[in-house]
Amino acid sequence: MKKLLDTLPLVIFVTLIIVLFSFLSNEDNQLETVLIDESFPEFSLTSLTDTTKILAKSDISELPALINVWATWCIACKVEHPFLMKLKEESILPIYGLNYKDNRNKAIALLKADGDPFEFSIFDFEGRLAIDLGVYGAPETFFIDKSGVIRVRHVGVIDDKVWKEKFAKYLDE
Amino acid sequence: MIPELGHIILNAYLVLCLVGGILPLAAIFFNNAALEMPIKRVTTLLFSLITFSFLILIYSFLVDDFSVAYVAQNSNINLPFYFKFAATWGAHEGSLILWILAMNAWLIGFIFLTKCKNTYFLNTVFSISCQVMFAFTLFTLLTSNPFERILPIPPLNGADLNPSLQDIAFTIHPPLLYFGYSGLLIPFAIAVAAMLFNTDTKEWASYSRPWTLLSCSFLTLGIALGSWWAYYELGWGGWWFWDPVENAAFVPWLLSVALFHSLITSQSKGVFGKWSILLSILAFSTSLLGTFLVRSGILTSVHAFALDPERGLFILGILGFFIVGSLIIYSIKDLNQDHAGTYELNSKEFGFLLNNLLLVILAISILFGTIFPLIYEAITDGKQISVGAPYFEIILFPFALALGFLQGIALYLSWGSSSSFSFIQRVFLESISVFVLILLILYILFDNLYLTSFITIFLACWIAAGTLQVSKKRNINYWSFLKKRLAVTFAHVGMAILVLGVGVVSSYSLEKELILAPGDSFEFGDQIVSFESVEDSLGPNYFSKSANISFKDNQDDTNVITEKRTYVPSGQLTTEAGIIMEPFQDLYISMGDNLEADIWSFKVQIKPFIRWIWLGALLIAIGSMLAGIKQIRRA
Amino acid sequence: MNKILIISFICSISFGILSGAEQKFTFDKEAYSFDNIVQEELFYSLLVELRCPKCQSSNLSGSNSPISNDLKREVYELVIKEKSAEEIKAYLVERYGNFIIYNPPIEPATYILWFGPFLLIILSLGSIILYRRKQA
Repeated sequence: MKKLLDTLPLVIFVTLIIVLFSFLSNEDNQLETVLIDESFPEFSLTSLTDTTKILAKSDISELPALINVWATWCIACKVEHPFLMKLKEESILPIYGLNYKDNRNKAIALLKADGDPFEFSIFDFEGRLAIDLGVYGAPETFFIDKSGVIRVRHVGVIDDKVWKEKFAKYLDE
Repeated sequence: MIPELGHIILNAYLVLCLVGGILPLAAIFFNNAALEMPIKRVTTLLFSLITFSFLILIYSFLVDDFSVAYVAQNSNINLPFYFKFAATWGAHEGSLILWILAMNAWLIGFIFLTKCKNTYFLNTVFSISCQVMFAFTLFTLLTSNPFERILPIPPLNGADLNPSLQDIAFTIHPPLLYFGYSGLLIPFAIAVAAMLFNTDTKEWASYSRPWTLLSCSFLTLGIALGSWWAYYELGWGGWWFWDPVENAAFVPWLLSVALFHSLITSQSKGVFGKWSILLSILAFSTSLLGTFLVRSGILTSVHAFALDPERGLFILGILGFFIVGSLIIYSIKDLNQDHAGTYELNSKEFGFLLNNLLLVILAISILFGTIFPLIYEAITDGKQISVGAPYFEIILFPFALALGFLQGIALYLSWGSSSSFSFIQRVFLESISVFVLILLILYILFDNLYLTSFITIFLACWIAAGTLQVSKKRNINYWSFLKKRLAVTFAHVGMAILVLGVGVVSSYSLEKELILAPGDSFEFGDQIVSFESVEDSLGPNYFSKSANISFKDNQDDTNVITEKRTYVPSGQLTTEAGIIMEPFQDLYISMGDNLEADIWSFKVQIKPFIRWIWLGALLIAIGSMLAGIKQIRRA
Repeated sequence: MNKILIISFICSISFGILSGAEQKFTFDKEAYSFDNIVQEELFYSLLVELRCPKCQSSNLSGSNSPISNDLKREVYELVIKEKSAEEIKAYLVERYGNFIIYNPPIEPATYILWFGPFLLIILSLGSIILYRRKQA
């Protein structure tokens, strides 16, 4: 019995090492969204380009689709922009933009200069729709399936690799 | 050329550590005197080598040698020279050299100052320490070499030291902390030697006790400085966040406190020998675990990048080797070093046992809570949670109460068995008197009594009363009585003061977020806060917006500056808080965002008694330092 | 005389109205103002308990990042709507998950976290007392 007690610290410590070792290989640095399998939230915000037009959830009509959170102050967004353009050009699926806490004129100018991959962009100046989506920065991309349900969210630049690994499978459904 | 020299010396150090880690043990194992080393001379040589290497690194910083990659990453031409000096330990690679140097410093202290005359024992402690130093140096040279060069074209300027590190506290906090962490190497090595030779408990405990006390003292100072620095540097007015990095230092501190209390019992009564050995191994392992967990990156939030999984792996390997190794010895060896002796439940021994139980379980709980989010994510297949201040505070509270209660009666307990518990009534009465007095003072100062603070303040009074034992004054020469227990008086009264500070600041603090334009005033607490002006100013390596704020109350009218700095090389922003130290409270203001024109948001706070927290910690550090020095001198 | 006074009076009022009509950034000196102290204390205590989703390791109280400021605004609006602490936390957890609260929930997966320390104490005290009984 005494011997058993003496080996206990060793056993506990070895377990700890194994546990810590397993954590080392975990590379993912994202906050996981809790909105998986939830419907895309309701909202009422103006369109980026047309201040008189009020957009709502029903305007996101072409499904499945991507919702991309972007802004002119977001440097990484410029990095992923070409990929979004590619998705649009190849008509893979529609992309709707969520312009996050941005300057309207600057945002419109950026789309004019670099190209607009979005069906339209929602102007979320106060970031309220973003909060309802659990967004905490830009860029972020959501996949909405044909029933308007959120299936996956990616934080960070979306590229070929990310698309293949995280998003493509939902398109095939 | 000179950095190369530093690199070569480090390599020489590596080899010498390896030799030192093997030969003395081989000499004992094979009973071959020819393999023995003159350990005093070798330790001195080792210490000189690592110091020289470290000085070369410092030199590279001071002369702006940007061909050294580490200097280029952490320094800048415009960095003030005292920060260039401190930048040596500003990031991972350089701080490792400091760690190794600190371990070596402790070793040299032990080898020259210990009263141990048993050469086998000494050589074993020396050897084990060399092995640890070897492992760290190998890790440094293979994965984190500070002497790597950027050649043939070195950059013209460096990236700059992280702005939040550009502060005077940064020049002292890491060295103190590292000396605290690394100091636990000696008790560890002593414990392993004690296992191998089945050394008598009283004997080896006497070797280990001073070094445990001194390490604890440095850890106390290091942690207190960290808390103070976070308070005025980070701008949000908090002094402890239960951040993984903070917990990584707190856990070894708790275990080192438990350890020297256990060693007191082991040295005086020859009991708890096996427990003290286990605790020595645990204390050092949490020291290794802590320092390295924060370097491997797995404990930072979801948004940080792993520092380098490869480095984390190496560290885990080092940790595994030494701790698993010593625990294997622990589980195999039949240790019977203890003296015979019984003790009652009302004895000093049992008091120390409870003290250890509480401290160790608290330490385990904090460690567990710190890594729990990772465990949770694994067992729930991806869900994430946070474990932070609210949790740790709830857990800490009952432990603090129990430990505080013990601390108040500890000095009254006798070895073996205490004749009576009549002292409890005395302590209680003394505590109540001080408690009422303090409440009176608080009411006069702050016009308020908060029920939420009562328990903590009473606990502080209880600890102070039980330590000072003022009622003894009647029977004996009180001052010589105190002088004999100077160290423990400092330490325990220090704890009482710390607890008082915590209790008051937790309940009596005020805070508010304000939006002010120049010329605006706002009534806050007993102060009138006025945003007088804001202007642009220039520092050695930053631009700043400085707001001039005045705090006016019935007694005085003081001005203070709070700034928003933009550091030129990195573009990083920092907030410098404006703090006014009044005798019983701090007035604290930090700049927020520039909303429009000259309109700024501010966070203003009043923090009563907050300085007492660090004063208390300082007294604790002095107490453990005095005790450590006394034990070193003792025959 | 009276006519002059009336005209000057009308002029000064118009001037006052016109200058007030200028676009000004108006604010209350308090960034967040409340109806009572209970609401205010609830607000500031929530800021300490809620985590900034973007920062490496910070609560809302200590962070000025855009998302933190937005979340502070959300909390503020909910507090003045007389929502309770539980409701406000649930609102945020619905969107950001349990990550956003520094106080972990009490559920089967966290039982060991919440009850572990207490259990350890009982276990060790118990074994010590049993051990001493056996020795006696």
